[in-house]
Amino acid sequence: MTDAPDRQGRNQGGRHEPSDAAAAHGDAYPPTPAMLDAPIDPDFAKASEERLRETWKTPKGWRYWSAVNNSEVGTWYSLTAFFFMLCAGVLALLIRVQLAVPDNDFLPADTFNQFFTMHGSAMMFLFAVPMFEAISILLLPAFLGARDMPFPRLSAYGYWCFLIGGIFVLGSVLFGVGPSSGWFMYPPLATKSEGVGADIWLLGLSFIEVASIAAAVELIVGVLKCRPPGMRINLMPLYAWYVLVVGGMILFAFPPLIAGDFLFELERSFDWPFFDPERGGDPMLWQHLFWIFGHPEVYIIFLPSIAIAAMVVPTAAQRPIFGYSWIVLSAVGTGFLSFGLWAHHMFTTGLPALSLGFFSAASEAVVIPTGVQIFAFLATLMVGRVTWSVPMLYIAGSLAIFTAGGLTGVMLALAPMDWQVHDTYFIVAHLHYTIFGGMVFPVMAGVYYFYPFFTKKQMSPRLGRLAFWLAFVGFNVTFMPMHFSGLMGMPRRVYTYPGDIGWDLPNLISTVGAFVVAAGFLVFAWDLVRPKGRQPYTARNPWNAGTLEWAHDIPDQGWGARSIPYIESRYPLWDQPKLVERMDAGRYYLADAAEGKRETLVTTVLDAVPVQCLRVGGPTWITHLAAAFTGGAFIFPTFHWYPPAIVCGVLAIACVIWWLWTGTARPPEKTEKEIGLGLTVPIYVSGPAAPGWWGMWITMLADATAFASLIFGFFYFWTSSDSFPPEGASHVARGWVWAGAIALTASWALTRGARVVNRAGRAGLARLALAAAAGLTAAGAAAMLWSAHTAGLDPTSHVYPATVWAVLVWVAVHVSAGCIMQLYCLAGSLFGKLTPDYDADLWNVSLYWNFMVASVLVAAAVVDLLPRMV
Amino acid sequence: MARQPEEKTELKIFSEEQSSLFLIALGPTIWALHFIVCYAATAVVCAKLPDLAGEGWLLRALIGGATTVALAGIAWIAWRSWRQWDFMDDGDYVHHRPVTEHRHEFLGHASFLLACLSFVGVLYVALPAVFVEGCV
Repeated sequence: MTDAPDRQGRNQGGRHEPSDAAAAHGDAYPPTPAMLDAPIDPDFAKASEERLRETWKTPKGWRYWSAVNNSEVGTWYSLTAFFFMLCAGVLALLIRVQLAVPDNDFLPADTFNQFFTMHGSAMMFLFAVPMFEAISILLLPAFLGARDMPFPRLSAYGYWCFLIGGIFVLGSVLFGVGPSSGWFMYPPLATKSEGVGADIWLLGLSFIEVASIAAAVELIVGVLKCRPPGMRINLMPLYAWYVLVVGGMILFAFPPLIAGDFLFELERSFDWPFFDPERGGDPMLWQHLFWIFGHPEVYIIFLPSIAIAAMVVPTAAQRPIFGYSWIVLSAVGTGFLSFGLWAHHMFTTGLPALSLGFFSAASEAVVIPTGVQIFAFLATLMVGRVTWSVPMLYIAGSLAIFTAGGLTGVMLALAPMDWQVHDTYFIVAHLHYTIFGGMVFPVMAGVYYFYPFFTKKQMSPRLGRLAFWLAFVGFNVTFMPMHFSGLMGMPRRVYTYPGDIGWDLPNLISTVGAFVVAAGFLVFAWDLVRPKGRQPYTARNPWNAGTLEWAHDIPDQGWGARSIPYIESRYPLWDQPKLVERMDAGRYYLADAAEGKRETLVTTVLDAVPVQCLRVGGPTWITHLAAAFTGGAFIFPTFHWYPPAIVCGVLAIACVIWWLWTGTARPPEKTEKEIGLGLTVPIYVSGPAAPGWWGMWITMLADATAFASLIFGFFYFWTSSDSFPPEGASHVARGWVWAGAIALTASWALTRGARVVNRAGRAGLARLALAAAAGLTAAGAAAMLWSAHTAGLDPTSHVYPATVWAVLVWVAVHVSAGCIMQLYCLAGSLFGKLTPDYDADLWNVSLYWNFMVASVLVAAAVVDLLPRMV
Repeated sequence: MARQPEEKTELKIFSEEQSSLFLIALGPTIWALHFIVCYAATAVVCAKLPDLAGEGWLLRALIGGATTVALAGIAWIAWRSWRQWDFMDDGDYVHHRPVTEHRHEFLGHASFLLACLSFVGVLYVALPAVFVEGCV
């Protein structure tokens, strides 16, 4: 073999190509020990530290709330999610009080319905998923030694959207108008339900889902592009692997639900009959779209929590994780397999037996990767020297409870067993065992474990143990009897039951247990928020952990890391003895903020070679404005107040444009800068090397998934009904559809052409192309909508015209956004923001249009060619 | 301006990186495609082609064919990633050093494990067609 790597890991040639980016840096990278030991001028060190502190300082007073730094946004995010969780917990207690004794009249039936609907919805949408995002925003940059996330203002926007949407949805229950059809909102119950409850659920949660996708984009780009130099993909902390997988799952799981919400709200607001069988619709489509989201969602909340275990276990065992590759296998494998499970929630809906078999088989297969990761943890603990800390106590509890929930899961994955216990309390017991064991306990472990990092103080081990035993014992007392009440036939979602059929005792025990759990949470919450002003600061690395977050500064500094280190190990604090000392001394990268601008490093995906010094946004109010107007655009339609909704929508777009125009992809004052250790990297990059391009690419994957879900709906109606399209139905006007498609294809070609000629220095021609493209886009969108209108397709008459309209409206709205982007680039070119050398915006817009042209052609084929063929 | 040649280098690196990370997801992607084909074939045959559905063999043959193709594809990926892992040469299964060789072998190791999981997953999903005769 001629390709043995030298000491620094750079190959001499052969099969394993050395990274071109590393080669481009010459001798300056990677740094040698001599370079890292070179003396630093103490005056310069002091001055640069001061500049860095000034640049990253958190605003004071009321301006504090304009902060966008991940440590502030992450803290607000997690505390808000925790508060929503406590609210949902209170609802659970009220439910348990009502069910404590038979024939109880503590809650009226409708209130009970609202409470259990809101309990499930809030726990899932306002606690479990946002908590993952919150904790990741807090922790990920620290794991990666980064200063911040790649798009800090996007995190802030996501948080404010979440806050507004969460208060709106949860508040509805205080006014007695909350949704009451169950957290999965099955039609026709939910489509026919009176009042605004169902609309609040649909629009409020769609709004929050958009924020979730924003966070997923941010986290994926963060993991792939913002790792510290040298942290190759085989050295990444396991948490980052899980974040990558979960971010990817969000991109494919949430969009089907958004598409479902879109159809659902069109039915409720405008009477388009997607789920109404009398006019050709099918309520089962909602169940499919909901569970294509709903089942992966369970793993979306489970994987990041188990990722916390993957950080706590090696620390507790004081040795590296056993079977790193196996854990990567289980994270990626679970991420994929979990999508093949959705119909196991639908075993009783009359699917063909063979289809049931597929989903049953996939449900059993997902046990393999899940088991692998649990065994890897156990192996790590067995071969290590375990120190029995409070976080480890919670992890142990979580593994026990999760395993019990997993075993009932294996039972339920068998269709005949599921037919027996479907919709009984056995299911309630199973899902709480998996979620409490798989998500709640690991998150509590994480709070105890990372608290010294978050606040630089310690939580009390005594209170921690007390809270654990209350929650652990209380949990089992609450949910173990539900297995039995379920097997005795007690159905879910009944507000009361008669006293003579044996359900009394298990229900009473469950209610007592619920209050014990609540006591545990009160102790935990008190320990979390009690004033710790007099307590001394914690030690810097109190658990003697090996990962980078424990190199944090005490007291806290806004900069994340004094200098961004060069990483050579999975556990750098254990294996790189001088690392922290060198970080503190500012010997590594980006130790200075010479221009007073917030900067972080961008590196390559596999080998983490530095390629860019990325400028990121600082404190701002524009994210609040954008979030408030976005909220208006979603909230007003709940009450059918469309004019204010439209105004809010326009203002939200205006805010986002202003935010992008002033804050992103501004031509820098110089092309490149020295980031320390003799390394020089560009400040501005465009195209596939830029984080913004990756953000667009990942966002569009999610968007394409939502569009694919709509198209799936079209095919679904075709298979499920004999009259899709119905006999003698009128179809779209062929000429108009294809005229629109051709105009939009030309618009795409002109946009790409504009990028090429602009790069060649012919800015005038590029402007001409962009202006023509924007005009063609507007004409094309209008022609596509006109094709359905002129053919007289009435969306309220039957599901076929409704589906055609839904596809065309979806496409028209998306290309309209594309039109705004074309005009944005045109304006950028006219006002000197976008030049032949600095053209990131045009790259990103071309990428958007690649997706647009594909969806336009698919839409035209589906609405025009397909119905005439079948 | 010196920036433009660098741009091209970046594009090249991107494509290399894309393909390498892609290898990890390839096995599970074949599993997903196989799953979709089995599900869609069953849905369409059972709902739209009742004459053919009566004859259980057609659907089962279709699923059998898809399974064979999927297993062959996954086996090929497993073979490729086994060679990339290069276990027989150096016996390395930890891949924790900061060198290109470890990164390269780690990706091979991970995709090999995922190919094995996908292989078992495809077999699982195909099993119902062995036991269930057509659309009931």
